Amino acid sequence: MEIIIAEKIEKIYQDNGVPVTALKDVDIIVNKGEFLVLAGRSGSGKTTLLNLFGALDNPTKGEIKFEKYHLAKMNKKELSELRLNKMGFIFQAYNLIPVLTAIENIEFSMMLLGIPEKTRRERALSLMKELEIDQLADKRPGEMSGGQQQRVSVARAIVNNPTVVLADEPTANLDSKTASNLLDLMQKMNEEKKITFIFATHDKQIMERAKRLVYLEDGRIKQD
Amino acid sequence: MLLKLAWRNIWRNRRRSLIVFISIVIGAISILFLEGITNAFLNQMLFNQISLSTSHIQIHKNGFRDNKVIQNFVPSPDVVETILSTQSGVKAFSKRGITFGLLSSAENSSGIYLTGIEHNREGQISKVKSTIIDGHYLTGEKGEILLGKKLAEKLNVNIGDKVVGMANELDGSIGSDVFRLVGIFETENSEFDKTNIFINLNQFQSMLKIPGQVHEFAIVLNDHKSADEINEQIKNKLNNKAYEVLTYAELLPLLILQIDLSKESMFVVYFIVGLALIFGIINSMLMSVFERINELGILLAIGMKTTKIFGMILLESLLLGLFGTLIGSAVGGILITVLSDTGINLSLFADSLNSYGIGAILYPSVSYSELIGVLVTIPIVSIVGAIYPAVKAIKLQPVEAIRYI
Ligand SMILES: Nc1ncnc2c1ncn2[C@@H]1O[C@H](COP(=O)(O)OP(=O)(O)OP(=O)(O)O)[C@@H](O)[C@H]1O
Ligand SMILES: [Mg+2]
Repeated sequence: MEIIIAEKIEKIYQDNGVPVTALKDVDIIVNKGEFLVLAGRSGSGKTTLLNLFGALDNPTKGEIKFEKYHLAKMNKKELSELRLNKMGFIFQAYNLIPVLTAIENIEFSMMLLGIPEKTRRERALSLMKELEIDQLADKRPGEMSGGQQQRVSVARAIVNNPTVVLADEPTANLDSKTASNLLDLMQKMNEEKKITFIFATHDKQIMERAKRLVYLEDGRIKQD
Repeated sequence: MLLKLAWRNIWRNRRRSLIVFISIVIGAISILFLEGITNAFLNQMLFNQISLSTSHIQIHKNGFRDNKVIQNFVPSPDVVETILSTQSGVKAFSKRGITFGLLSSAENSSGIYLTGIEHNREGQISKVKSTIIDGHYLTGEKGEILLGKKLAEKLNVNIGDKVVGMANELDGSIGSDVFRLVGIFETENSEFDKTNIFINLNQFQSMLKIPGQVHEFAIVLNDHKSADEINEQIKNKLNNKAYEVLTYAELLPLLILQIDLSKESMFVVYFIVGLALIFGIINSMLMSVFERINELGILLAIGMKTTKIFGMILLESLLLGLFGTLIGSAVGGILITVLSDTGINLSLFADSLNSYGIGAILYPSVSYSELIGVLVTIPIVSIVGAIYPAVKAIKLQPVEAIRYI
């Protein structure tokens, strides 16, 4: 099943009045359950494409369809609702709200969905058990290691049962052992829960585990 | 959870929050304190005026106040007296004879208001009796006279000395009598002390050949708030255009106007304090937004609606404002409660205060409505101050906010 259809995508940034083409003529279809890696050199447009999938930015040209939704036709509020309901995000850093504990961070997404407090607690806790991070429940991000923080971020990203998780360099700040553990976790979620994962990275480890590798060069898809 | 988040966000930068918190506390205290002092000033001015001579309600012959000539005495004083002695809510009343005259000693003379009073009743109406600093109050003996300290100094007389009082009689001839100084009073109102002298009412009447006649009924009520109501009742009972029945508010229109104006001008204080607070709040909330641009970007990205983010930032400011105001009002309230008991001693400025008719000790007070005014206004100010920073926060584009370093 196709969940993302991007057609003839072009993205041009204005960098102090100078147009910078970040993406050009990108056509790509993402299917449910994929473990997809966007690879490529720095500046090749990986983050840009990921952000377009995540409805965090609009393409300059072309159209993106997410499930049955035409992103270009939706307003800000509808887009944020879509992200909340259907997408999970993991960034390189600063993922978690520093003043909330791990479990509160996970609950936060559910709170935004209006899920009642008791259900929230239970669901967050059982997910943390499943991901073997329940001992972190009452720790604040500042009291956790980078790897622990990213595991909590994964939990936050998947707690609302999203269609897709978009991860931009999730392992960039981790050593390879920790990164490998994190990837195990995401692979498990991909296999068990059929959650689609899309990565933007130049981490070899992630590329090795990719079910599908899309290679970007100068804003174009060079190899799929 | 939003509340929890807002509350914890306040504690992130303790020093900055503390500065805002303290300025709100100080703002609340200073508004309350200024309001308390203003009230003390105004209430005391009014209270002193009432307790010196105005009383709560006065009855005159219609026209007496415009033309204080001896002819304008109250018609049928017996009827008035009967009505007053059965009127509910009246604590005490007293008859007065009033005219303008001249008082002379061996050395000097001075224009004065000559007031004949009932020595046994007037003590409940006017506090002059309690301000005697030398000698004693009137006892009803023939020839007794009370003088203010300033006037006694001017005439250079002491207890036991003789003075001569003179005033016009009905037919225009001069009536005069010799008095012996029995008491000297000193009130907070130096002007009053210079111009008012008191003698026994019966001697006033015999000296000016108006037996049984009086110019004024001065009435003190159990509760000054019932003045309007009782004033109406007395008017209805008298039911005669020949009388003029007035409350203290009608007798002291300028003072009442001054009180109203001063209360209204408190908004200037609110405005200044509010303005100072608002800039502090804008500044600190802006810094707080800029410090968390990445985090706000993530919140936007994971699907937190801009209205919620807006609300969260207003809530942070409101919490600070609310707690600051509560603490400030509590401290201010306690301060004023203590001071309303002990008073603030301003003896250093006693002379200038006396010319306003105010004593050297001020007793500040604030009403509940004034307290509520502070409790409502400052939190509103803190919300208003957070609007601009909150607008900045929701204008962030998630992609740029996350990239922001
Ligand atoms: N907000 C922006 N304003 C201007 N230019 C931008 C902006 N974002 C990205 N670019 C430019 O667009 C191009 C693609 O950037 P992008 O961040 O997508 O690359 P990337 O593949 O993610 O690189 P990296 O591996 O370094 O993260 C780059 O040339 C970059 O300089
Ligand atoms: Mg990138």
